[in-house]
Amino acid sequence: MSDSYRPQVVDHLVRPRNAGEITDPSGRGESGDAACGDVACFTVGISDNVLEEVRYKVYGCAACIAAGSALAELVEGRHLLEAARVSKADLESALGGPLPAGKEHALTLVLDALHKALEDHWNRNAGEMLFDAPRRRETGGRSVVAAMSGGVDSAVTALLLKEAGYDVATVTFRLHDGERGSRSCCSPDTVLFARDTAHRMGLPHFTLNLKGLFARRVMQDFVGSYSEGRTPNPCVACNAHVKFHASSFLADELGFHHVATGHYARVEEGPTLARPVDESKDQTYVLWPVPRDLLSRTIFPLGEYRKTEVRAIAEERGLAVAYTPESQDICFIPDGDYRGFVRKKVAAEPGDVVDREGQVLGSHAGVVDFTVGQRRGLGVSAPTPLYVTEVRPRSGQVVVGRKQDLEVREVRVRDLNWFLNPGEAARVQLRYNSSPVPCAVEEVAEGGWIAYLDEPAIGVAPGQSAVFYTGDGERVVGGGVVARAGS
Amino acid sequence: MTEPVYLDNAATTPLDPRVLEAMLTHFGGRRGNPSSLHAFGGAARTGLEEARESVAELVGASPGEIVFTSGGTEADDLAILGLARSAGPEKRHAVVSCVEHAAGREAAKSLQREGFEVSWVGVDADGLVDPAELAAALRPETALAAVVWANNEVGTVEPVLELAEICAERGVPFHADAVQAAGRIPIDVSQTPVSTLALSGHKLYGPQGIGALYVREGISLEPIFYGGGQEKGLRSGTQNVAGIVGLGTAARLAREELEDRVIHERALRERIMAGTAKMPDVSVNGHRERRLSNNVHLTVSGVEAESLVMFLDSLGYAIGSGSACSSGGHKASPVLLAMGLPEREAFSVVRITVGKDNTAEEVDGFLGAFSTAVAQLREISPLYAG
Repeated sequence: MSDSYRPQVVDHLVRPRNAGEITDPSGRGESGDAACGDVACFTVGISDNVLEEVRYKVYGCAACIAAGSALAELVEGRHLLEAARVSKADLESALGGPLPAGKEHALTLVLDALHKALEDHWNRNAGEMLFDAPRRRETGGRSVVAAMSGGVDSAVTALLLKEAGYDVATVTFRLHDGERGSRSCCSPDTVLFARDTAHRMGLPHFTLNLKGLFARRVMQDFVGSYSEGRTPNPCVACNAHVKFHASSFLADELGFHHVATGHYARVEEGPTLARPVDESKDQTYVLWPVPRDLLSRTIFPLGEYRKTEVRAIAEERGLAVAYTPESQDICFIPDGDYRGFVRKKVAAEPGDVVDREGQVLGSHAGVVDFTVGQRRGLGVSAPTPLYVTEVRPRSGQVVVGRKQDLEVREVRVRDLNWFLNPGEAARVQLRYNSSPVPCAVEEVAEGGWIAYLDEPAIGVAPGQSAVFYTGDGERVVGGGVVARAGS
Repeated sequence: MTEPVYLDNAATTPLDPRVLEAMLTHFGGRRGNPSSLHAFGGAARTGLEEARESVAELVGASPGEIVFTSGGTEADDLAILGLARSAGPEKRHAVVSCVEHAAGREAAKSLQREGFEVSWVGVDADGLVDPAELAAALRPETALAAVVWANNEVGTVEPVLELAEICAERGVPFHADAVQAAGRIPIDVSQTPVSTLALSGHKLYGPQGIGALYVREGISLEPIFYGGGQEKGLRSGTQNVAGIVGLGTAARLAREELEDRVIHERALRERIMAGTAKMPDVSVNGHRERRLSNNVHLTVSGVEAESLVMFLDSLGYAIGSGSACSSGGHKASPVLLAMGLPEREAFSVVRITVGKDNTAEEVDGFLGAFSTAVAQLREISPLYAG
């Protein structure tokens, strides 16, 4: 690698192509930071998914200016799918070969600015009501939008689809500001990593900014649940309102047929969800709220694989993947302190810790600190271990009792999403990583259902999901949210 | 294409042909080691000692006070580390300005890692050290103070006489980095009570890889190289005879021609300043009067320095940039930050340094190219509103 610039770089520096700014662009993207010494700005004019006009401005070193110029020249006039495929390596070839050592960030900077302009275009098209508008849906073909987080599962998902002969476009969502490096221009960034991974597979990559939607539909719900004494599941909320809708939106915009994610589940005729081959990774429990019309166009390639196989595929194909911890951690609370997160958003009011008879045993700093089934941090001593059996936000009471007081035999469920005839529901799963219990279901008033459990279940918290399975436990009949549990 | 024009003399100067000629005699077949007793060694010794005299004369020292080093950096390191390490166990404090060349700055940081406390003396917006601030930083346990005679970036000339006198009164050894100053500012250590003073060959139209440290008679230094005890034990290792002869010749020429060079450089500097003063949003950094005769240091709003340097390079003009762009983001110059320049402006600075061989025609050509490059880069800059 040479330390000095190639003639192509100097040529782009002195005679920049496509320099400038479109006054009324379809999208505008900026990357970098004046405080870091590099800023790139792209404006694009898009019509029928073709980049009819591309203009750029750069404040930065010669490499950055030349890379901006070369990129603008490469993508102008191209279809979005072609433009979104242009990689750092392509850009480097356009500049005559590798940049001098230490200048590689120029490629990342200008690509990021262009991709942010495309993102802005999608977000402008989507508007506030991103996902509710009915759209023209293509069906039956072999094109798919694959959601990519930068982790191994989603990367292998995209790869398997590509190898199966699909036209694949990848998409990464910006969901919140807690993502690694998302606020810093000079540190590793999940989106940049996902983009590199997609480009190394030769796939186009897009980003969508869903921060507003995610804050409204997932994070606010999360905080609100705790202050209302419910135990939320943010992954369920995201699947219900965000991830699949956004993938589907992009598929519609591109005229693509399917959407895909790296979840471990299968889609069967109906459509319905079925357990994956790797039961230890089963994610059907969090996928129940995906609307039927979206599930019908969804592919979960990993449903046919074991996690060990997925890792082996990644290794064999040389897919570098981001470090993603294997856990049920909440993505927007990377330190795992969700109490602290909730407390920052809502003021906690002190209240009483009481037993089932209403006798006051102690006091607490706020109901947001408690969830049904909790044993630690009650601040009450007793001869036998005590558990939270109920949280009463209105009166500020936290009810505690013995372990057997946690046992429930009836679960009231609301907000149901049925894939199959409710009559097929023979088992219900009430917590992540627990086994479904045999049950009978009955419809009650206003769309609510009651599950009568054959055997008592423990620690069933309002706000969690109740997912119904067929008698063999293999297929999801439907799911809903636990409203109330009783014995 | 015509010959490129070199306007980066603070980085390195061209080698004076007269210097080269003097050096060539020492690259021939009859090379000896100056420590050897025979005739070969004697010839080398003669060259060495003549050079020592010339270097001593440039700064008003006696030849026995000159130690040859591999360059300015080694001279600064030897002085700062050497003074600190020989000061005694009760003296574990140093006073260093915020506008040192990297050599002085990094040597002081290494002292910090050794357990010394360092007081960093700040500067005003022009890059000047306040003598009162330096005086206030001195303590009974101060092992040394170090201030650059003239800053290598913005060209500000420090009040070294005053600073050195304060230190002398308090009995604190004072080191001056005169790498940029030597040959441009008359230096006389018999009048200015510095303890040590660093010089470099390649800033004086001499060769690269050679420098010298003046060490005042009676000042003790712990060496940083150990070996055969050359250079009075302060710099072991067989001397770079050809380089030393080159430095000696360059020092002699610098002394003889100093006044003419300064008049010539200052005229060119003012010509550049007058030309760039007409351009919008271009401002001068550093002190306007207390300034090296050859230095123009500019903030060019909305233009990143490296791109401007490369652009001008393609037009045949070589100037210096004031920051380094790398994968970890830019590194703003500590000198500019110490002067209070905002970080985002610290990436828009360039240094133009003329030399004795530049001409008014070259400067005029440069001004035209500079104006073209700045206008075009501003056109594509998202940070320049015009």
